[in-house]
Amino acid sequence: MDFGIVIYALNLAAIYGLMAIGISILWSSVGMINMAHGATFAVSGYAAWIASEAMKPVIAAAFGKTLLASMATASVVVGVALIAGALMGVVIYLLAFLPIHDKPNFAVRSLIITLAINIATVQALLFFFGPRSRGLPKIFGFGRFEVLGVSIRYDQAGTIICTVVLLGLVLEWLRHSRKGLEIRAMMQNSEGAALSGVSVRWTALPVMVVTGALAGMAAALLSQTIFVSPTAGAIPLIKGLTIALLGGLGSVPGAVLGALLIGFLEAITGVIPFLGQRYVMFVQFAFIITVLVIRPRGLGGLLDDTRE
Amino acid sequence: MPELLKIRGLTAGYGPLRVLHEVDLTVKAGERIGLVGLNGHGKTTLFRAITHMAGWQQGSIKLDGVEIGGTRSLGAGRRTSGIVRMGVAMAPQGDAIFPGLTVNQHLDCGAFTRTAWRERRQRREHILEIFPPLRALQNSLVGKLSGGERRMVSLGRMLMVEAELYLIDEPSLGLAPKISRAVMDAIWSLPTEGRAMIVAEQNVTLLSGRVDRMIGMHAGRMRGEVGHVALN
Repeated sequence: MDFGIVIYALNLAAIYGLMAIGISILWSSVGMINMAHGATFAVSGYAAWIASEAMKPVIAAAFGKTLLASMATASVVVGVALIAGALMGVVIYLLAFLPIHDKPNFAVRSLIITLAINIATVQALLFFFGPRSRGLPKIFGFGRFEVLGVSIRYDQAGTIICTVVLLGLVLEWLRHSRKGLEIRAMMQNSEGAALSGVSVRWTALPVMVVTGALAGMAAALLSQTIFVSPTAGAIPLIKGLTIALLGGLGSVPGAVLGALLIGFLEAITGVIPFLGQRYVMFVQFAFIITVLVIRPRGLGGLLDDTRE
Repeated sequence: MPELLKIRGLTAGYGPLRVLHEVDLTVKAGERIGLVGLNGHGKTTLFRAITHMAGWQQGSIKLDGVEIGGTRSLGAGRRTSGIVRMGVAMAPQGDAIFPGLTVNQHLDCGAFTRTAWRERRQRREHILEIFPPLRALQNSLVGKLSGGERRMVSLGRMLMVEAELYLIDEPSLGLAPKISRAVMDAIWSLPTEGRAMIVAEQNVTLLSGRVDRMIGMHAGRMRGEVGHVALN
């Protein structure tokens, strides 16, 4: 068995995990399914591309072709993608949350509005940038290195490490900060949170910003493997959404486990001779449907032993 | 005694259902009031209307002379956090606990004002003195606790900040008699100077002799004061 497949699976799991955790946290704390997560992904990718194109001469003039130059490019790409994702979070907050959050049927209305934002954004990107794909600069460089006989591409290793670090930071923030405590309280019981003086209106904003930034990070990382295009967000959105469902909407450990399962499933399906890459989606959905038929509330409930 | 809470003509309900009918209630500072009545006669809805969590509502609610009522048809819960911050503390029916947080984190959630957050350690200590069984459970998840312990956590969360008006909804609901007595004793041990407390309860004997007034509620209307009963 080729251990490269493990790295490939972890690489996929990292990107899906970033999307799925964002969707999951947003659903359980604010109560909206964010269909505009794919738009956030695409916008962040384009923002990173524009910034890297604009900064290319500046960085070249300042650092030449040294290691420092590629590090500067990397920080521009990642930083701009994070900021663009966070700003998209603010836009979605203003359009799809603030005006309707206390109206009846908020869940369905916000689903429709975010879907509209998604479609409108993708069309706007098509209008301004055209359907051509753009390549982001390779922030981790080209090449491979070997660990215990397994050859790993730099971008795969970088993606996995960056994701683990970023998710670790977000989860630590959720666990230890005061805002994180409020967000977790809101995720678990909105009524109890309101009675503890937590205002949904002001807690939703940081949630949107953080989940948007996670999508931005996913865009910067996935664009190391594939290209930036207006519709690039569709597949990560669908996969993120289904993985969030698989993990049990609202469960962060469930989303992580779901992302790992789907990542490995995708990697393994790709190498099975009679299935191959074109059956990846088919196998994934068959798996997710099977799990949801057996456990309608997803995997999350298996991981914690508390009761409502 | 100044009037702490003054409710005039409060009507509230959920969707097409009208639960409260033109309720009037005045609570003075320092008073403990027992609210008794059968299931489904509006005790919980009265509390939920005060904190703006009922489906819709109409009528004047004045807390210390400040109007917190008004007419609202949508947006249940929109004003709740603001009203809580004005000094209404509520322990809801069913406890509204956060199953994935520990007892300590839970109590911290209740400490939402700036001073309370700064003093949260001392205040937690104080709550643990009121509810000694929680001391051994400080770092366990609330979702794993028993019903009585959850009730203590819920009341403890409510007590982390100073409020003017405490609304306690059926503190004995679903608890074993011995535990419910301990919980009630903890409630009666709270100082009432300058503040007021309304306890909704079905078990009249638990309130008897401990509250200043006992008000009956029937079919969404106040039925006047109920005499104290003593079974022994």
